[in-house]
Amino acid sequence: MRTFRQIQPILAALRSHKTAVILLVLEIALTMAVLGNLVFIVYGTIQRSHVSTGVAESQIGLIQSITVIGEQSQGTTAGDLAALRNVPGVTHAAYGGPPLWYVERDPVFLDPSRQHPVAQMYEFQGSQDLSRTLGLHIVEGHDFSDDELPVLAKMSMSKDFQFPVLITRALADRLYPGGNALGRVLYDGNAASRVVGIVDHLRGEITGRPDDDYSMVYEYVVGAQNMGGGFMIRASDPARLPQVLHAAAAALQKADPAHVQNKLFTMPELRAKYFRSDLATGRMLLAIILILLVVTALGVSGLASFWVQQRRRQIGMRRALGATRGDILRYFQIENFLIVTGGVLLGALFAYALNLFLMHRFELAHLPANYLLAGAVALWLLGQLAVLGPALRAAAVPPVVATRSV
Amino acid sequence: MMFGYYLDLALRSLRRNKVLTTLMVLALALGIGACITTLTVLKLLSGDPIPQKSAQLFYPQLDPYPANQPFSRSGKRLPFLMSYVDAMNLIHAHKAERQAAMAMSQVKLMPPSGEGKPFYAQGVLATADFFPMFDAPFQYGSGWTAADDDSRAQVVVIAGYLNDKLFGGANSVGKMIRIEDHDFRIIGVLRAWAPQPRFYALHLGGRSYGKGDAVFLPLQGARADGLMPSAMMGYGKSIDVDHLESAEAIWLGLWVQLPNAAAVSTYRSFLGNYAREQVSLGRFRKSHTALSGLMEWMRSEHVVPEDVRLQAGLAFGFLLICVVNTVGLLLAKCLRRSREIGVRRALGASRGAIFAQFMVEAAIVGLAGGVLGLCFAELGLLGIRHQPAQYASLAHLDLSMFLFTFVVALAASLVAGLLPAWRACVVAPAPQLKDA
Repeated sequence: MRTFRQIQPILAALRSHKTAVILLVLEIALTMAVLGNLVFIVYGTIQRSHVSTGVAESQIGLIQSITVIGEQSQGTTAGDLAALRNVPGVTHAAYGGPPLWYVERDPVFLDPSRQHPVAQMYEFQGSQDLSRTLGLHIVEGHDFSDDELPVLAKMSMSKDFQFPVLITRALADRLYPGGNALGRVLYDGNAASRVVGIVDHLRGEITGRPDDDYSMVYEYVVGAQNMGGGFMIRASDPARLPQVLHAAAAALQKADPAHVQNKLFTMPELRAKYFRSDLATGRMLLAIILILLVVTALGVSGLASFWVQQRRRQIGMRRALGATRGDILRYFQIENFLIVTGGVLLGALFAYALNLFLMHRFELAHLPANYLLAGAVALWLLGQLAVLGPALRAAAVPPVVATRSV
Repeated sequence: MMFGYYLDLALRSLRRNKVLTTLMVLALALGIGACITTLTVLKLLSGDPIPQKSAQLFYPQLDPYPANQPFSRSGKRLPFLMSYVDAMNLIHAHKAERQAAMAMSQVKLMPPSGEGKPFYAQGVLATADFFPMFDAPFQYGSGWTAADDDSRAQVVVIAGYLNDKLFGGANSVGKMIRIEDHDFRIIGVLRAWAPQPRFYALHLGGRSYGKGDAVFLPLQGARADGLMPSAMMGYGKSIDVDHLESAEAIWLGLWVQLPNAAAVSTYRSFLGNYAREQVSLGRFRKSHTALSGLMEWMRSEHVVPEDVRLQAGLAFGFLLICVVNTVGLLLAKCLRRSREIGVRRALGASRGAIFAQFMVEAAIVGLAGGVLGLCFAELGLLGIRHQPAQYASLAHLDLSMFLFTFVVALAASLVAGLLPAWRACVVAPAPQLKDA
């Protein structure tokens, strides 16, 4: 009750400092607007960096191998893959590329006239065993069986050929909202494909948009060709992936000496590289957030200590009239709370407006209300922290000050 | 004379209240530091890539897309690339002082004499005018001619850094280099040349920033060897990648050099006539065309990464908060000195004098904030240079940004000082002297 009765005189006192109060409210409101949106952006980046691609990332390694035309090579791609599979610790190997690594993107159509693309999808293609090497989770239908795969050497096949393909659940729902994607035929730029299975997730890239998860996988049988490009291995033990990958690279080199291995990396390394720049930006924004909080705290505490100094006589008088130290302390704490509350209310409005602008301009998502709540709590705490020093100094003013002329 | 006195008063006042002064300077400096850091990056990224020539370079656009299938969803934006047929028609018309078509290609390079590993590098496929039009400087040799274009010559111009890597910087003109399993004869070596951003690579699939492209090949000669452009878009049913030159596909960027306004308007009407002629021939459905200057083109295509713009905007929000903060603190200081002001007014100081005194004080805070802000900006840029972005290594404070820092600092502090100074000068002298 005591606390509530104090509010009236505090408001009256604040009215005589309108300009300073307005400035403080404005500063807190601006801080809240910028802070809320910044935290939202940084949190979004961090969240995105944890989204799974849907493959067995911790077990996959990639060898980019360049063929040198003109040099006679004894090796074949089938032989290369067999050599990779024989490396201890390798469970699967395939020709093809992993997510986040130059995945081809094509429009997808529902009919062969190809007039109206339904969506853009990522196309994963590679040799037999690609889906098992990636470690895809098939939730409906079946994985590729070797007898249904087209053979690469005879791929200039009839126009009616339909590639058996796996598509993601998200793409299936987009193409056939009623369900029953299995067995349907869809079309990309060049070929027709028949859906044999549906996988839970397979993201070509991680941008945060829903169509990241629109993917299609197809396999073909490689044999006597000598192809350069990506060779993927899947290791049984994630902890030994780097060693296994190096052993696999050595085995590939031995099987096909004419190949030149350009790059060697594990999926976790690829992921770290993919998000490096985003996370660096996030760290910079985080630094701005911290500096912003410090500046606002400094401003609040500077004005508060000015007010305390200015009112030393009044404080002394109140003490002389029987107010306790606690009363004085609480007075400044409540005053700060009222000002910050004003700032937070205005700030919520500013934050929302800034968010609308950013959504329009930068494809940012809608700012959820709980960010505003969290921002308000943070600013209330910050305000109380900033005012504590000056308020304690005010509480320490002895009653005798009232009798002195300043 | 009075200025010296105000300066003295201001310094005394600032010294008297060290904590408050430090807070003001620190807050302002942080805001300025953040602003200058992001602005330096923004300026770097949106700068003129080729200042001596940019006013003369223009990018024509045509629209070969079918009527029911416009290039952009709104139907308002023109295709940003050109088909081979149109690019060649425009080039062979010779209506501009210079004109060149280009595409980017990721190419596999074999070091000469088979030593070392093959590696991938960024290649440019272009027609002959590329080098003179973009003022690309040669260290050795020269570019190729239009005759070389027509004869599909197997020649190549390489970047200086590639020459250093492969030939130790020696004159390599006449030597052979293996690109995508075909032999090309080196006819020129460029000096360090890397316009930032790489305006000509826009939409062609190249990198916008960084050390520059490695090899430059005659478009037709390289295509004859099967080199593929990094970017292509079809406007027919499908792209026949084996016959790109006749396919219904856009995959070339065309730049023209037009020396003056008369040449620009002549070219504009030539372009319009060409499009109408194509419509009457039945090749095009739409006759609208565009001809954008280089800087205009970069602006409309948002070359600057969005997150950099976002950061710059946020930094300005941050500076605004710091200014509001400074206003509050300056106001606190000046209200506290009501008695001093009353005395000065009673002794005959005019309102203007009081106002000036407080503005000088604000300006000093601003200058101090500027100096400290410069330190923060250097720190911030140091941080940027350690970022993995393409442009990171280019982030340095130049003289104009150095001066601009002080302009921003002074402007911010003077704006911040206006309200407190006005409040100070309207203080009535009498009540302040009466009591206490």
